[in-house]
Amino acid sequence: MFAVLLLPQFRLQAVLRFRETIPNCLLAVTDEDGRICELTAAASEQGVRADMPAVQGLARCSSLQLLPRAKTTEQVLQHALLELADSLSPEIESTGEGCCTLDLRRAPATDWNSWSETVLKRAEALELKVALGVAPNPDLAFLAARRADAFLVVQAPTAFLAQLAVTEIDPPPYLQALLRDWGIHTLGQFTSLPRGELADRLGPEMDRLWQRASGQTERLLRLVRPAEEFAESYEFEHEVETIEPLLFLLRRFLDQLTLRLGSAHRVAARMVLTLTLDDGKAHQHVFTIPTPTADSDVLFRVLHTHLEDLRLIAHPTALRLQIEPVHPDHQQLRFFESPLRDPNRFGETLARLGALVGAENVGVVELEDSHRPDAFRLVAPQFHQFAPTVDHDEECLAIGLPLRRYRPHLPATVRVVRQQPVEIQSSEVSGRVVDLLGPYRASGEWWECEQWGVEEWDVEIEGRGLYRLHQEPSGWFIDGCYDAELR
Amino acid sequence: MHAAAKLIQPSENEPAHSSIQDRVAALRELLHRKYPTPELRETGILPTSFEAFDGSQGGLKQGAVTEVVGPTSSGSLFIEIMLRVLGREQAFGALVQAGASFNPQDVSSAALRRLLWVRCSQPLTAVKAVDLLLRDGNLRVLLLDLQFAPQRELQRIPASTWHRFQRLIEASGMVFVILSSRPMIEGAKTRIVIRQRWSLGAMRQRRRGLMQTSAPQVFDRRDFAALLADEKRSA
Repeated sequence: MFAVLLLPQFRLQAVLRFRETIPNCLLAVTDEDGRICELTAAASEQGVRADMPAVQGLARCSSLQLLPRAKTTEQVLQHALLELADSLSPEIESTGEGCCTLDLRRAPATDWNSWSETVLKRAEALELKVALGVAPNPDLAFLAARRADAFLVVQAPTAFLAQLAVTEIDPPPYLQALLRDWGIHTLGQFTSLPRGELADRLGPEMDRLWQRASGQTERLLRLVRPAEEFAESYEFEHEVETIEPLLFLLRRFLDQLTLRLGSAHRVAARMVLTLTLDDGKAHQHVFTIPTPTADSDVLFRVLHTHLEDLRLIAHPTALRLQIEPVHPDHQQLRFFESPLRDPNRFGETLARLGALVGAENVGVVELEDSHRPDAFRLVAPQFHQFAPTVDHDEECLAIGLPLRRYRPHLPATVRVVRQQPVEIQSSEVSGRVVDLLGPYRASGEWWECEQWGVEEWDVEIEGRGLYRLHQEPSGWFIDGCYDAELR
Repeated sequence: MHAAAKLIQPSENEPAHSSIQDRVAALRELLHRKYPTPELRETGILPTSFEAFDGSQGGLKQGAVTEVVGPTSSGSLFIEIMLRVLGREQAFGALVQAGASFNPQDVSSAALRRLLWVRCSQPLTAVKAVDLLLRDGNLRVLLLDLQFAPQRELQRIPASTWHRFQRLIEASGMVFVILSSRPMIEGAKTRIVIRQRWSLGAMRQRRRGLMQTSAPQVFDRRDFAALLADEKRSA
């Protein structure tokens, strides 16, 4: 058997996806030329027709709402349809816009009615309004899908075809006119005519049409393998001024995408959020999910945290969310390691901390490969991917008190006697030097233009504490204190 | 409320004194039954491996606020102690600083990999960052360093903040240590006071030895009154 998954009124479905519509709304979709390509039944009742110029449609129905084609959403719908088909059969064909054919000949014999009901439920969960046709060959399955309210299983092709109008098999106009003149209106009447004589009189085109009408065509499917692309997008009619509409849509996007991830046995490792702005630019942010998951609540919290703290200079006009999938990672919890309880929640907390204090002020220290004082950078922590190591007690060899740095270091006026500091004056600390250690000289990167060199002293300032000074060509500075009673 | 009012009414046969005590006890029991408090998780102890810091309780209390009071050297040494604890426990921690005085070059890179450093410009921002990390509950140890914060800015932090933190920490079971230059956390369960001042000779000693000789005094919440009296005497 073959099955055809068809999205009736594909362009209209794409436009209305994630859009709350009133039943019997007067709505039409227009193409690039300004012609109506698809419309609702209510609009059709008002005399509006497909292929009509939009202006003419408005003349017939003044309350007709015109919406342009949503091509990005059409691609998303097509992809979702192919994914659904791919989860049902390994041999699928992308037959056309909103249409997909499945080869089910290798499927074990089954109750096609219950199978169809299951497929429709899955399509409904993905917010796809699908018509399903099941028949012994692809063309017949397509005809069945076109005729189906929800699904139609063709067990007796001859009886099914007999009642169909000739126009259902899309004959060339001249043959259609000829058959109409002969009084042939249904496929049953058409196939009752002798095939050989028809072919002799009207040529091979009529022969092919007869074959189709009798349900005897056999064709090979052009098999496709859908790319693993999990994305949803939406174009707003007006600029968005608050985050609520974005959050509402993102929640629905995630519900759909996680369902699709689930059926493909994948989890989300990264999310890419793109907001198209009304000034022509776009805001894009990539979210790395610490523990890849298909839990829509977790993914939504990540997006919510980001949007809460987001300030844009222009209003969003379109929204796109793409998920990069990976295979779920099944690993046993480590016995002796204390891993993070909830890495995804920790990721959110880091995002919140970044918004609070600036992303450059949160992270794990990575020391630079240099002896330059205070040479380090902060990097995003990867605690969830931490390889268990034996931490050698390197600090056992550490000598002296740890330094508390002033950032930036404090300029100081230093009186020097016999090349040694004897008195210090600065905004934080002033006094006589009673004891000192140094100088400790360091320099580096003399082979680069950013060469540096310092001369450091550890000093005890009378009645204040222990400090570190350094001298550079521009003067003296206090780097920090080792031990001081702060006032 | 009716039940409580009825309980407080003494009966004529009973002596007034004992009756009131019994009834207060009954009232407490009734309130406890009606409004049960959650089980507190103040059971775990995280030893520091330094006997002087562990005190009689054997380590730092999990699910409780600990305050370390002293000069700047006390804070920097205590941060190092906690980094060693993180390495030993194979756990992760965070250091939230008002100001950014931590010098990572004093610490081994292996220890640094276990520490999330949050640099805040204001004490109030540091308090907000701590709030986020306490609610997160993923880390084992959280250090809030307020030693470099100006006193007048610390006074702007409402006292209720520390009580709120105490409630949060009870739920998360983390070790939460606040480093300050003078006692300021009313709700702290433990206060470690370090009065040790160092001369330049300390710069030639092993750091582990400095930690052992820093002579901290560990006070339980019950001993705070004695500590205050001691402070007054020394003043």
